Amino acid sequence: MKKINYKIFLLGLAIFSITSCVDALLDKKPISSFSAESFYRTQDQAKAGVYGVYNALQSAMHTNFSFWGEGRADNVKIKHAGETTFLQNNTLTASITSADWTALYTLISRANYAIANIPKVFPENDATGNQLIGQSKALRALAYFYLVRVWGDVPLILEPYTETGQDIFVSRESSEKVLDQIEADLIFAAANCVEKFNTTNDRIMFNKGSANGLLTQVYMWRKKYNEAITTANLVIANPLYSLVTTMSAWGNMFAASYSNESIFEVGYNDTQTNGLRVLYAIGSDAHYTPSNKFMASFEPGDLRRSYIYDETQADPKAMWKYLGKGVSDQIATPSKQNIILIRLADIILLKAEALTKLGGSANISAALNLLVPIRSRAGITPTLLTEAQAITMYGSVENAILHERSIELCFEGHRWFDLVRTGKAISTMQPINGLSNEKNLVWPISTSTIDKNPNIVQNEFYR
Amino acid sequence: MNYFNLDKQKLIIGFCLSIIFTICQPFVTTASAQNVTVSGKVVDVNNAPIMGVNIAVMGERRGVVSDLNGLFTIQADKGKVISFSCLGYKTRELPAAELTGGNIVLQDDASVLDELVVIGYGTKRKRDLTGSIASISSKDLESNPVKDVLTAMQGKVAGVQIISSSGAPGSSMQIRVRGASSLNSGNSPLYVVDGIPIETTSTSLLNVDDEHGLNPLSYLSPGDIESIEVLKDAASSSIYGSRAANGVVLITTKRGKEGKASINLFSSFGISNITRKLSVLNSRQWREFILEGYRNYDLHMGLAKETAVHYTVVDSLNPVNSGDGDWQSLMYNTAYEKQVGVNISGGTKAMRYSLSTSYLDQEGIIRNSKYKRFTTRANTEFDASEFIKVGTNISYTYSTNDRVSAGGMGNRSMVVALLTRPPTYALNYPDGSYLGYLNGKRNPIALAEECLHLNTSHRVNANEYLEISFTKWLKFKTSFSIDFEAQKEDEFFPSTVDYRVGYNTGAVRVAEYFTWANENYFTYNQSFGEHNVSGLLGFSQQEWKTDVTGLNGSTFVSDDIRTLNGAGTISGQEVNVAYGHSMASFFARGAYDYKGKYLFEVNLRADGSSRFGKNNRFGYFPSASAAWRFSDENWFKPIKFVNDAKLRFSVGQTGNEAIDNYTAQGTFITGRNYLTNAGVAPYQMPNADLSWETTTQYNLGLDLSFLYGRVDFIFDAYIKNTKDLLYDVPMPNTTGFTSVINNVGEVQNKGLEFSVISKNLVDNFKWNTTFNISFNKNKVVSLPKEVLVNGYIQNGSFHILKEGEPISTFFGYKYKGIYAYDTDNVDQLRHLNSTGKIFKGGDVIWEDIDKNGYIDQNDRTIIGNAQPLFVGGLTNDFSYKNFSLNVFLQFSYGNDIYNNVDYYRNSIFSYNNVSTEFYYNAWRNQGDVTEYPKVVRNDPMQNEARVQSRWVEDGSYLKVKSATFAYEFPRNFVSKFKLQSLKLYVTGSNLLTFTNYSGYDPDVNTLSSGLRLGVDYGSYPQSRTILFGLNIGF
Repeated sequence: MKKINYKIFLLGLAIFSITSCVDALLDKKPISSFSAESFYRTQDQAKAGVYGVYNALQSAMHTNFSFWGEGRADNVKIKHAGETTFLQNNTLTASITSADWTALYTLISRANYAIANIPKVFPENDATGNQLIGQSKALRALAYFYLVRVWGDVPLILEPYTETGQDIFVSRESSEKVLDQIEADLIFAAANCVEKFNTTNDRIMFNKGSANGLLTQVYMWRKKYNEAITTANLVIANPLYSLVTTMSAWGNMFAASYSNESIFEVGYNDTQTNGLRVLYAIGSDAHYTPSNKFMASFEPGDLRRSYIYDETQADPKAMWKYLGKGVSDQIATPSKQNIILIRLADIILLKAEALTKLGGSANISAALNLLVPIRSRAGITPTLLTEAQAITMYGSVENAILHERSIELCFEGHRWFDLVRTGKAISTMQPINGLSNEKNLVWPISTSTIDKNPNIVQNEFYR
Repeated sequence: MNYFNLDKQKLIIGFCLSIIFTICQPFVTTASAQNVTVSGKVVDVNNAPIMGVNIAVMGERRGVVSDLNGLFTIQADKGKVISFSCLGYKTRELPAAELTGGNIVLQDDASVLDELVVIGYGTKRKRDLTGSIASISSKDLESNPVKDVLTAMQGKVAGVQIISSSGAPGSSMQIRVRGASSLNSGNSPLYVVDGIPIETTSTSLLNVDDEHGLNPLSYLSPGDIESIEVLKDAASSSIYGSRAANGVVLITTKRGKEGKASINLFSSFGISNITRKLSVLNSRQWREFILEGYRNYDLHMGLAKETAVHYTVVDSLNPVNSGDGDWQSLMYNTAYEKQVGVNISGGTKAMRYSLSTSYLDQEGIIRNSKYKRFTTRANTEFDASEFIKVGTNISYTYSTNDRVSAGGMGNRSMVVALLTRPPTYALNYPDGSYLGYLNGKRNPIALAEECLHLNTSHRVNANEYLEISFTKWLKFKTSFSIDFEAQKEDEFFPSTVDYRVGYNTGAVRVAEYFTWANENYFTYNQSFGEHNVSGLLGFSQQEWKTDVTGLNGSTFVSDDIRTLNGAGTISGQEVNVAYGHSMASFFARGAYDYKGKYLFEVNLRADGSSRFGKNNRFGYFPSASAAWRFSDENWFKPIKFVNDAKLRFSVGQTGNEAIDNYTAQGTFITGRNYLTNAGVAPYQMPNADLSWETTTQYNLGLDLSFLYGRVDFIFDAYIKNTKDLLYDVPMPNTTGFTSVINNVGEVQNKGLEFSVISKNLVDNFKWNTTFNISFNKNKVVSLPKEVLVNGYIQNGSFHILKEGEPISTFFGYKYKGIYAYDTDNVDQLRHLNSTGKIFKGGDVIWEDIDKNGYIDQNDRTIIGNAQPLFVGGLTNDFSYKNFSLNVFLQFSYGNDIYNNVDYYRNSIFSYNNVSTEFYYNAWRNQGDVTEYPKVVRNDPMQNEARVQSRWVEDGSYLKVKSATFAYEFPRNFVSKFKLQSLKLYVTGSNLLTFTNYSGYDPDVNTLSSGLRLGVDYGSYPQSRTILFGLNIGF
């Protein structure tokens, strides 16, 4: 029996040695994904996290940039029932697609993760770390900018959700507070983002110029004209940006992307596609074609017309802008053109508008001068409108600029916000769809959002 | 943990060695004929001599009787067999050569209660059980030949419900032990083969259009199985802790016994056919009815001009459209199957072996579906010394499964497609090629014939063990096992079945599943006079690894190249993933009994799982049970007709750890790229508190044995409460997450189980009956409030989950009949809303639940329940001399089936064929009293399209599931051919079904989700099989 006792001892030892590594055995990390603990541990991961935020922007802008920016305005003509009809006829309900803000908050959540975690993997005040935070903050600001413009007051969430037990039922915050945060984020981004990447990333990722460009749009929304002029000047002076000079380059700006005029566009490619084709150019099935009002609003000789739609047709079946002049709407090439959110012409026109708002003949004159390169590129004469001409043609200089925006930036997702920003939404849309109530200018909040958060109160008009 | 990393190479070497070892097994030669004098002593299990035992040389008239001391002497040829028989004992037959003067032990024939049953980490006499365990022996399996383990269990075990998902060979089944207890984490039991928990989740990688899953246990050949035990209550299953909430199925494979080699050869051949066909219209009727449906639509819509029908309806001269085909006859074949196998077992004093190999080739009744399986197994055990035993169980299975998509309404689904295919459509174009796609319909025959979906699987299961007996009462066993499965699926859909010219698609998936397990435990067993004490203490660890790779391709250069290199476009970059999971557990058991009269047992398992949140890494699963054999009490002694009576009670907890591997840790997911920049994004929020689902089960049991073991009766009652159900609780979208998985919700199962085993006749003509019946009542007790909409959760198209109702409750509109006259709609009920159209003669009378005057989705209500009131089985075994007959009936009562095939067969939605009942009975004129509405194509009043009670049918059935008639040749006859045994049999499976169900078969369950039971969506139909078999023993 002695021999056996010895064996028991050995066995005991063996078993003990096995049990002692239980913790190691049970500590299983994901192989094909990251666990919450294992991500944001390195600088490369921080970069991947920021790309993940851009990825969310691709989804958020996919088709909604047009539903939000054009769907309720006067430049588009609708082709079939559903979402586009609800928007154009102003019969919005809480169950329509564009009433759902999920994609924007997904972006915000990813940005919050990045903003909270990037400092952990970079030394304090590290330039690379700060520019990554800058990009994340600019992206977050962009999402919130859409949120306040579309829904008004929205929940303001600036920290990531990392564990159960956090307050998930956040109430809506006043849009002014949200806009303050947007400004702060963009000022940080303008200060910390890179001057330039020296690659095509300068068009599709946030640098100082694009942060200032977005800030200009925000200031204009907030009617902070002096600030807008300051940031617009920074953008206009930025050597990265120049107006394309020929009309074919103008067409290519949308069809081929990455032009020198572009300040910020959302990148897409063959596999990461967007809704441009469905929106503007799939034969008779395209969501939108140019409205009659829009087609009639061109000044004589405007060369842009033939790059925007097939002017030979009385009722064009498709929009050529984006998909390219003469695009065949039958061959389903991928919808891979970038969606331009900010470009130099937009900033120049915003500056002109700001100058007009500030008033005074010097400013008005400067504003009308800003239109010259845009009008001359489009082949419109006179290239320089006098104040009197502008008033004769459009009723006011401001209206002349707004009209210029309507043509130059058509279908890029600006029109509705321009109308709301300048207080012309009701006067413009009432004859078309009866829009009459200021409180109707925002969207309803989606049913699924309200169902899952008892603290969210529906916008008054839609209760 | 590097030292446990086995690579494939070592695995293969190990396997090869074992094969060589297998081949080198010496065969024991038979002894030459020689007359000898044999003497010995006959004793009982307690070594007491038995007097009056009849000892006879078989096939001769010679015989003697044992004396007072059990002693006997007899002359016999050495090649003969001697039988020992005595009333009250089991008859034993032994070759004369094996009688060497030692004791011959006769077992009491008292009761099945004395049989040994396998329990978690050990065995126990049935009479000593305190928990609830049901078992199936190899004898049961042999008397009723089947091809897989689950079918072998169907209807045989009280408390276990097994539903066929598909009639396809090699397909999976839904198995529920005492009801479903989980909403999201699976309801399948844990399978433990020879003591090793095995992976059963690896069913299929590519399921298209509700294709049947694969049977994870099909790698086991039923011929290799010694016994199957089902651990039902917490007392017996809690030793398996966090994986035992759905019960545990212990499968034990055959072991060798000391003695000369016995070689058993088995072979069978079978023929299968579809059990019934469903009635459809012929060409003339179909054309007429389609036109009627179109006319009625135009009338309903008030259209002046008739809507034009497709040319195929009216142009009967077109060659593609002039047929009158019976699509069911074209699709359902006579299917053949064959199986052959051999088992060699035996042993010497120091080693025992059981080796087997088998081959199965089974066709399905749908064209081109086929299952082939090759299995081989070697179970060997050596006594390395007086104290040490070592052994190894190794099996390898290779199988191929030619799969077809049967169920559902997907592009590739066949059953609904063939039932609704216009009879006029030709099978082929005049040039002989398949008419692949016409007017929105794919050709089901072409789908079956031309599409490829081949699953190939290799599975190696190896288990090495060492057992040390330190003393008589203390033993230690350690085992190490691996389970490796490599699966490949090839899929190809040629352009001939697609509507796009030249458009074909293909896919390939490869997966490797690797599991290793190590179990170590001490067992203690000692008696102190009348006090018996036993114990168990152990540690186990297990790790799972999975690696899946796949690619999809399309626009192949031609239909002839079906590998992905021929594809014009290859995609699927995200389909290369690997994941893993591990567990470490401690377990202990203590049992005590006094004289076998008062029995107590406690179990505890501590399970650590990598899946649990870090705050809940270990779960503890205790159980306690007691039994009282009151028949041993003095006051009971006068009751003579009851020989054994035992009352059992148990309580305990088990868990369900089947949650996603990394959910608790939170996930950042890859592939969230921005152009060519690889991006990562938060995907799941971590939940450090996430833990298992906990089931608390109470069991009260009663075992009775009457008439000296002639009748055994087992009764169990249980309540199973499962709480902390894992459920995806929605989060506000402002968090950036859609939901977080959390422990919420409760489900209850309670039920009764009865089993009776009776030896009705025991003389020359023997008749045994086994009967079981089980009642289970399932109820969802609570659900997270956040997910309820109008008080319930819509669960797929047909079901809801609602507190107070069972899982798999059907929800829809209530059909009350058909308006005979327009004027019968006195309430002026309208369709959809207050301005909708008023229902007229020929429309369905719907129950207006909310009494608002129109029928909208708020008028839906509970219209049925897929869970049966009771299920069970009845087996009768008759034998007379060498003839035997086994008849097995299976039944299910009170379950509803949502016959969604009927919806397609009783409405015109796209030039489809319909049932003859609809054609003959459709409402046509004012005053028609019928159960079928008027036919309106794409009916705007939705008389058919609603989920409704009209398609809910009683799914109760009684089936003659199988009947086996066998003839065992007499021993003296076969011995002339140097054979040990020779048996011929014929088995009929699924012979007769008594049911009111109108579909193919009431044993149906198309949808793969375990929470959406009882839907017939065109499953692969069950077949009737006649099997001829032959077993030879050498």
